[in-house]
Amino acid sequence: MPTLDVPEERLRKFKYRGKDASMRRQQRMAVSLELRKARKDEQTLKRRNIIDSCPDPASEKPTKEMPVSLTLGEIIKGVNSSDPVLCFQATQAARKMLSQERNPPLKLVVEAGLIPRLVEFLKLSFYPCLQFEAAWALTNIASGTSEQTRAVVEGGAIQPLVELLSSPSVTVCEQAVWALGNIAGDGPEFRDIVISSNAIPHLLALISSTIPIAFLRNITWTLSNLCRNKNPYPCEKAVQQMLPILFYLLQQQDREILSDTCWALSYLTDGCNERIGQVVNTGVLPRLVELMTSSELSVLTPSLRTVGNIVTGTDQQTQMAIDAGMLKVLPQLLRHAKPAIQKEAAWALSNVAAGPRQHIQLLIAHDILPPLVALLKNGEFKVQKEAVWTVANFTTGANLDQLIQLVHSGVLEPLVNLLTVPDVKIVLIILDIFAYILQAAEKLSEKENLCLLIEELGGIDRIEALQLHENRQIGQTALNIIEKHFGEEEDEGIILLDQLLDQDNEIVNASQKTSKAPRLL
Amino acid sequence: MELSDANLQTLTEYLKKTLDPDPAIRRPAEKFLESVEGNQNYPLLLLTLLEKSQDNVIKVCASVTFKNYIKRNWRIVEDEPNKICEADRVAIKANIVHLMLSSPEQIQKQLSDAISIIGREDFPQKWPDLLTEMVNRFQSGDFHVINGVLRTAHSLFKRYRHEFKSNELWTEIKLVLDAFALPLTNLFKATIELCSTHANDASALRILFSSLILISKLFYSLNFQDLPEFFEDNMETWMDNFHTLLTLDNKLLQTDDEEEAGLLELLKSQICDNAALYAQKYDEEFQRYLPRFVTAIWNLLVTTGQEVKYDLLVSNAIQFLASVCERPHYKNLFEDQNTLTSICEKVIVPNMEFRAADEEAFEDNSEEYIRRDLEGSDIDTRRRAACDLVRGLCKFFEGPVTGIFSGYVNSMLQEYAKNPSVNWKHKDAAIYLVTSLASKAQTQKHGITQANELVNLTEFFVNHILPDLKSANVNEFPVLKADGIKYIMIFRNQVPKEHLVVSIPLLINHLQAESIVVHTYAAHALERLFTMRGPNNATLFTAAEIAPFVEILLTNLFKALTLPGSSENEYIMKAIMRSFSLLQEAIIPYIATLITQLTQKLLAVSKNPSKPHFNHYMFEAICLSIRITCKANPAAVVNFEEALFLAFTEILQNDVQEFIPYVFQVMSLLLETHKNDIPSSYMALFPHLLQPVLWERTGNIPALVRLLQAFLERGSNTIASAAADKIPGLLGVFQKLIASKANDHQGFYLLNSIIEHMPPESVDQYRKQIFILLFQRLQNSKTTKFIKSFLVFINLYCIKYGALALQEIFDGIQPKMFGMVLEKIIIPEIQKVSGNVEKKICAVGITKLLTECPPMMDTEYTKLWTPLLQSLIGLFELPEDDTIPDEEHFIDIEDTPGYQTAFSQLAFAGKKEHDPVGQMVNNPKIHLAQSLHKLSTACPGRVPSMVSTSLNAEALQYLQGYLQAASVTLL
Repeated sequence: MPTLDVPEERLRKFKYRGKDASMRRQQRMAVSLELRKARKDEQTLKRRNIIDSCPDPASEKPTKEMPVSLTLGEIIKGVNSSDPVLCFQATQAARKMLSQERNPPLKLVVEAGLIPRLVEFLKLSFYPCLQFEAAWALTNIASGTSEQTRAVVEGGAIQPLVELLSSPSVTVCEQAVWALGNIAGDGPEFRDIVISSNAIPHLLALISSTIPIAFLRNITWTLSNLCRNKNPYPCEKAVQQMLPILFYLLQQQDREILSDTCWALSYLTDGCNERIGQVVNTGVLPRLVELMTSSELSVLTPSLRTVGNIVTGTDQQTQMAIDAGMLKVLPQLLRHAKPAIQKEAAWALSNVAAGPRQHIQLLIAHDILPPLVALLKNGEFKVQKEAVWTVANFTTGANLDQLIQLVHSGVLEPLVNLLTVPDVKIVLIILDIFAYILQAAEKLSEKENLCLLIEELGGIDRIEALQLHENRQIGQTALNIIEKHFGEEEDEGIILLDQLLDQDNEIVNASQKTSKAPRLL
Repeated sequence: MELSDANLQTLTEYLKKTLDPDPAIRRPAEKFLESVEGNQNYPLLLLTLLEKSQDNVIKVCASVTFKNYIKRNWRIVEDEPNKICEADRVAIKANIVHLMLSSPEQIQKQLSDAISIIGREDFPQKWPDLLTEMVNRFQSGDFHVINGVLRTAHSLFKRYRHEFKSNELWTEIKLVLDAFALPLTNLFKATIELCSTHANDASALRILFSSLILISKLFYSLNFQDLPEFFEDNMETWMDNFHTLLTLDNKLLQTDDEEEAGLLELLKSQICDNAALYAQKYDEEFQRYLPRFVTAIWNLLVTTGQEVKYDLLVSNAIQFLASVCERPHYKNLFEDQNTLTSICEKVIVPNMEFRAADEEAFEDNSEEYIRRDLEGSDIDTRRRAACDLVRGLCKFFEGPVTGIFSGYVNSMLQEYAKNPSVNWKHKDAAIYLVTSLASKAQTQKHGITQANELVNLTEFFVNHILPDLKSANVNEFPVLKADGIKYIMIFRNQVPKEHLVVSIPLLINHLQAESIVVHTYAAHALERLFTMRGPNNATLFTAAEIAPFVEILLTNLFKALTLPGSSENEYIMKAIMRSFSLLQEAIIPYIATLITQLTQKLLAVSKNPSKPHFNHYMFEAICLSIRITCKANPAAVVNFEEALFLAFTEILQNDVQEFIPYVFQVMSLLLETHKNDIPSSYMALFPHLLQPVLWERTGNIPALVRLLQAFLERGSNTIASAAADKIPGLLGVFQKLIASKANDHQGFYLLNSIIEHMPPESVDQYRKQIFILLFQRLQNSKTTKFIKSFLVFINLYCIKYGALALQEIFDGIQPKMFGMVLEKIIIPEIQKVSGNVEKKICAVGITKLLTECPPMMDTEYTKLWTPLLQSLIGLFELPEDDTIPDEEHFIDIEDTPGYQTAFSQLAFAGKKEHDPVGQMVNNPKIHLAQSLHKLSTACPGRVPSMVSTSLNAEALQYLQGYLQAASVTLL
């Protein structure tokens, strides 16, 4: 037997009371409780370096890599030898092993206990080739499971890697950036160790106008990992250090740099209003909105995500996003070919709709209702869901005029159709929307017309059927709607009665009958 | 309580007694068991008995008792003692799964229920072993055991289908998925393999298919909230096998039963649900499997027979196609002309045919048939599903689909024409097809409101509907008659009026048909036509147009009530009511017979009221007769009283609860019709109306209040002079009503009538007490509804007794009280008052307070003068404040006492909105301006200064507007 949690049920009822608009904003679920596979459109967490040709740090000349020539046993032996040349050969062999495209033996290498030696090699500044190979090997180990990353961290790699950021050899330096990126990408714990090892100033120092683009990409990616993850968030100081450079990176033209910068900003804005404030105050919004029109999905996705995050913030922060033109861009994103973009755009929209009436008015002014209704009709379910949330927020925050426009936009038909959808929350929200709109129609004396419209759309049948729903809250809500708004047609009798009485007695409030009421239908 | 043989013996004895038909033996035994169930070991004794007792009856009885015990006691409610000791809880959980799996089916079911109740509370945290224990049994190879586990799992997991997403729920699902998804998948594969190895063993197959059904149900539950990673990774395994199962047939699994769905049908039906779930929610991931499922399901439909046992499967399958075909990116699956033709021909048309089962229902179970056909309670029927598919296909292919069906309609009509008596079902299908094709939107009130423009409805009406209805024999081809009448009914807004006029006498004629469906539809169609509105919102048909048929209409309607099966036919009674209402004076010549027949009906049904709608319309018809007749001839009221009072007395004497509220309403109407003083027959009734027992029933309250109001309106002087001793009783009623949050407004209605109509001296002595009662309620449980009524009341009081009297009565209760009421209630809350009359009362009352109450001008109350004026202007100009404090949202539900006869308000006994201020004040704004002007002439200079110093600018502007409109100035 499902049990009904009474206090919670009561709370829910007041969710749409419009008293605290910010309560209606949906933040992304704070916990990582997902049944689904990890999202496919997200940014890569860790990357392994598997390019099969690489510049030799000594000669700077690309050499074709030879296949791994040593066995693991030989590698262990070599790495532990005191002869630097042997160490180099063994480390390179290990690195090659770890770089093979399929099934790199990460686990074996960790278990072989190579990490402490590799970390020592990082410190041999007289031997940059060895530093490079060791850093690369560690990069690839750190790209593995959390456990493998942990082995690298516990092997003491972070501090020497941070020091390598000042290495005169660009390739060594670049590899260290990469390794740190992988470590930071594992989660908040290691990210914070990297930060507290003072990596950020060193990373920022590497950026100059002459830096090769590939290197800059690498740094950007590592920075994004330093912004990533919550519980806890990166400390405020680190964020403040990174923000100016992120602003700078956002002005670049390179697709990968833009993508990773936007991802970084999306992580920083995925939180409380103060965090959002920090980002917004750097003035990134106009550029972010511009990037929302990018034809590159990898740029569009994270810029839209970031703006979406920003509008979960205060009304004022939302206002800034609107001022930057987000509502001009949203309609085309709602019509985007990719469902994932439609969904993200609808989510952002739902949070604008949760704002004050002026925002709802702007939303109407930017002609967002037609594409919204189109999504409700034909979108994939995950998109329809966000669109329903948008309508719910719109409904509960709107004034009567705005509600009228919503109804005129044809929103009821798809809502009725969605009442059979296998998702209890969405069904309940739609019922609440109906209850709310019907109540508004009552005030405008337009209830009868609205009821007829809902009936025409087949809504009564569906709401009636929902009275028997196993979810009691849905059953009760449906029952209330039917009882309150679709009772027996006694009203018809009353109309006739009124006429009857009018004949009896001509003096009826004449003033009252001519008073103008806005029409809903 | 020890786990001893002696205790087992005692328990057995008592259980036996609980089965005794004699309550004198049964009740004490039940009481005893309840009294000992709090003891430790009690549940374990029950478990021992259900396992080991020699007596099978006792085993089952123990298992049922155990389940009920768990149901009542397992849940630990906060702040209440734990009703089952911890040791028993642990022991139960340790043994129950094993016990369930080893018990015979009857007991297994009870224990399985008990497990789900326990699971709901304890799983997963407090019952961590349960999943492992269940999963381990999958390996047993014993499918009796496996099915037991699957059944339990289903009862535990099915709540995932209807509960809201929450961290707690999803944590549980994740846990279940981790432990259960893989073993379930393996079991699924293994079971399917076993099905092919045992393809020739009917009894093995039956067990295996039961497992497959349960597995498919579990799949649905586990995939409902979101698409789990595991199932996404293993989609191919599941979908390939589901697909195979959909296409599978095995003679051994076919059942002879025509009604009850067999295992094969149940399984396929569930698979359709699973596929629909994926198609709807996980479209992106499912896309590549979908076309195969469309084909398989469509083939399934083509090959499935007409028997009732396939109904659920067929309607699920059609609904699946319907939901897919309206999605833009799948329309390519359907757009080929051959595909469309084939769907129309092989899926839609066959499922629209009138089947033997329908024919049976039409004749033998007409009430149910009408309910399904007319009121749309046909959600799960094949016809409904086929209609939905037509509508779905029309979204993209309206033209081609209409074209294909037109061909079918024509050929079916030709078939019919060849030999009507044999082929009448073809015509039925043709009409149904036209209807479902043409109707895009429909309401009860207007019938079809949007039609397919490609279908010529009028032509079809003239050529194929009218001829049937014109045939002389109303009893021939009853199904086609019903179809034809229904056609008129639903397309009444599409068919031009001149054709409708022609059909009215035909419909009247069909009221005589023997078939219940036919005469019911005829009555319903007439009723619907009579409510249609033309231009100017007048009825489409005028009384004059119906005049030629009045006599035959009324005769046939009342005669229809004498046809077998229709003596309490609500459609006919509603048509009677509607006819009265349309015909008005035209019924007066027949009123004597009409009222006799209605009274006889009333007497007959009051013996055993069973059809609430019928009864309601009957009372409405009675009210209409009274209104219409007495409007022309008020003296006729006596005749009605003569005719009705006998029946009323009987109803009141026999305490026919369902009818009492109606009787009071009709009496109110009759009483109000009397223009002079109250007749003595009514006065004799007055004391009885005050009896507390009548007021116990919530359903009576509105009607009783209404009736008492009528007494006060017509007979206040008589009451004051001849029944003054009853006034305390009247106030007692008020006191009772005012104490209830649900009924307090009724109490105010009564109080307002007393204030308005009773001579002041007759209630003088009670006035202070009334106010004290109101204050008590205000202090104890203030609600918005109460405040609104309270405000209306005090302003009415002010109008009736004067502003000074109001101030004095407040301050007489407690010094300075008047100021508090002004400050804490009137000024802040007046914006909440709703209703035009109510607002007018408050406006006039407050105007009096402002201008006719000296203490407002020269005491400490003066500081409230401008705020009060400000709030009055707010009442005029601002939108009503309809916010309700959060804590009041549930009052309606919580305070509606019990389940009693709901009050059924009769529209035609209705009371006209009563305005106690009436013509005294026409425009309250002008009235305010004039009153202020008068006040300012009495004390020149003061009013303008009070107004200009603290009234806000906007309000001031409004006020100036009023003054201008009244052409007065403030001095």
